[in-house]
Amino acid sequence: MEVETAQEDLKPAPGQLASSPFINKIVAPGDIVLDLAQLSIPTLRLGGGLRQDQDLVIATKAGRLKYIKPNKIWVEGSQKRYIPSLEDVVIGFVVDRRSESFTVDIGGPVHGSLSIFLFEGATRRNIPNLQAGSVLYMRVVKAHRDMTPELSCVDATGKASGFGHLKNGYVFQCSTGLARALLSRPTCPVLEALGKSLSFEIAVGLNGRVWVNAASVSTIILVSNAIMNAEFLSAAQQQLMVQKLLQRVQES
Amino acid sequence: MTSSLQNFVVAALKEDQRIDGRRPFDSRRLNMKFLREDGSAEVQLGQTLVMCCVSCQLVQPFPDRPNEGSLSVFTEFSPMADSSFEPGRQGENAVELGRVIDRGLRESRAVDTESLCVLAGKAVWSLRIDISILDNGGNLIDAASIAALAALLSFRRPECSAGGEEGQEVIIHPPEIREPLPLILHHLPVAVTFAFFGDGDLVVVDPSYKEELVMKGRLTVTMNVHGDICSVQKGGGVGVSSGEIMRCLRIAATKVADVTSSLKKAAEAHETERAFRKVKRINVAATTEGRRVDISETVKAEFKLRSAILDKSIKSELNDDEDSSSEDSSDDDDDSESKEDNVMAPIRAVKEEDPQSVLPTDAVFQGGVSQWPTGTKPYTISGTMKTNPTGNSVIKVSSSCQEEKPTAILDTAKKNKKRKKKNKKKVNRPISSM
Repeated sequence: MEVETAQEDLKPAPGQLASSPFINKIVAPGDIVLDLAQLSIPTLRLGGGLRQDQDLVIATKAGRLKYIKPNKIWVEGSQKRYIPSLEDVVIGFVVDRRSESFTVDIGGPVHGSLSIFLFEGATRRNIPNLQAGSVLYMRVVKAHRDMTPELSCVDATGKASGFGHLKNGYVFQCSTGLARALLSRPTCPVLEALGKSLSFEIAVGLNGRVWVNAASVSTIILVSNAIMNAEFLSAAQQQLMVQKLLQRVQES
Repeated sequence: MTSSLQNFVVAALKEDQRIDGRRPFDSRRLNMKFLREDGSAEVQLGQTLVMCCVSCQLVQPFPDRPNEGSLSVFTEFSPMADSSFEPGRQGENAVELGRVIDRGLRESRAVDTESLCVLAGKAVWSLRIDISILDNGGNLIDAASIAALAALLSFRRPECSAGGEEGQEVIIHPPEIREPLPLILHHLPVAVTFAFFGDGDLVVVDPSYKEELVMKGRLTVTMNVHGDICSVQKGGGVGVSSGEIMRCLRIAATKVADVTSSLKKAAEAHETERAFRKVKRINVAATTEGRRVDISETVKAEFKLRSAILDKSIKSELNDDEDSSSEDSSDDDDDSESKEDNVMAPIRAVKEEDPQSVLPTDAVFQGGVSQWPTGTKPYTISGTMKTNPTGNSVIKVSSSCQEEKPTAILDTAKKNKKRKKKNKKKVNRPISSM
């Protein structure tokens, strides 16, 4: 999440980050979220949706202000448009193939670039064979607003660990908020309800793209529609909706 | 993106399934909304949202068709609806959409253009249909076609008549004075779009955005509820057999029937709502006594009642002063018969050569039928149509008030009567400008 790190040598003063009245509250662009002069923590890590202006931390997008101990803070919103940020998992489509990298559409303002070496076991001799239009599950390893995002299909230890080419299946688009909910723990109610009676594979990108695969086409369609419907439903409503969908499919 | 999507869409269709859970011949949910302005409607077809506005203008007719109005379709594809739409420039599909809608309406003569003629060779109404795409969720043609029909159904053009010395002036009556007229629509040509996949053997109706991305061909059939084919448009490269087309036509016929019935139902509901809005304005609620009463009946009854009272009172007043002249001796039977005309036609009161209508018209106003803001006088907007050397027609519109107009023809006695009446008006409802 962290796109920039602000290192502040604050003089010891009372006041902890967690005590900020904005934590877990909705903020709007322009809201002054924190006054660093009143904080006693030495280091603060700002995530997406926040900007530092001298001693003030200001929100730049609408959403809920999130905080993780000891010092990470960011704004979490739900939007159609994706802004790449570090360590996000994303789903993209190969657009072009260059000598050293693939150009990948990750739904951001610019295409990302994926080095041909950032696959498990890839060497100059062994380049993964990906056509334009292939679906990839990747993570963002470099994100800066003035540079093309850099992507990787391996984790920090060089293992694939789930990243890579997603064969077959169906990709659909949802909001970034729903994608985050699908990835959150405990498991999102809609996925839990679906998982009880159906078997399917799912990959969720924080860019709002969701890939679903299953043995039968009808399962894929059911799962994808259930997820798209779940956006504004409560946990109980989500379970009910899944039950109804399952019933309807069984009847027909 | 498209290659994997295409594989999946085709694989699903082979099992008679579609990516949004529909069957191949299911349409998406259709929702129609009439906006407050007459002649504007918003249609939602699944995710697709289209707004349509109909407006009219008096123009000179085409020389080869001197007594026919015209119809033109304009499209606007806002970049807000789809990022692939470019602002300012009309894209290929924007042009195609406009043409398909235009052809469906024009070639089938759905709109009675002859009724749009005001003065043959001089002035006809030109209808302008503006279609704006607000959200592109696929199948814009069907949504736009339904929106255009809904807008045409709810459109009202101002009533106008030829007047002036030689009968060559066009008088446009404001809506407060004469109820604007609906268009004459002979039938409703509804577009139904089919998308073809694979080798043209997989067919779906009402394709969604994603299906449109990967479809191989498209067929738009414009048809009315009687099964008359108004236009057919085929796009895309894939070949389609004649048997397949015939099947599409049969399916289209059932779809058109559904759409037409919901269009008519929505238009009817809108019409009732409009009428209710007017009823509220004239405050008839008290006379309905909590019953459900047909509005037109209520309004008529109200007119009858009020004008009957009024006429009696005027008559008695006049009888006191002087012998009643011919124009106000109209008895109650006459009155009830010509009531609607009176309400709708105060304009005619202005015409000097028709002093007969002066009295009843004013009487109706007094009755409070239209509840004008106090101080409003009956007025005319008269359009003088002239043709300048460039061939452009110019309509000079002037507004004149009854009181200010020199009324040479009216004799003093009539004026007195008029004044008397106005005095009475003051009693009922003070009019500030007098």
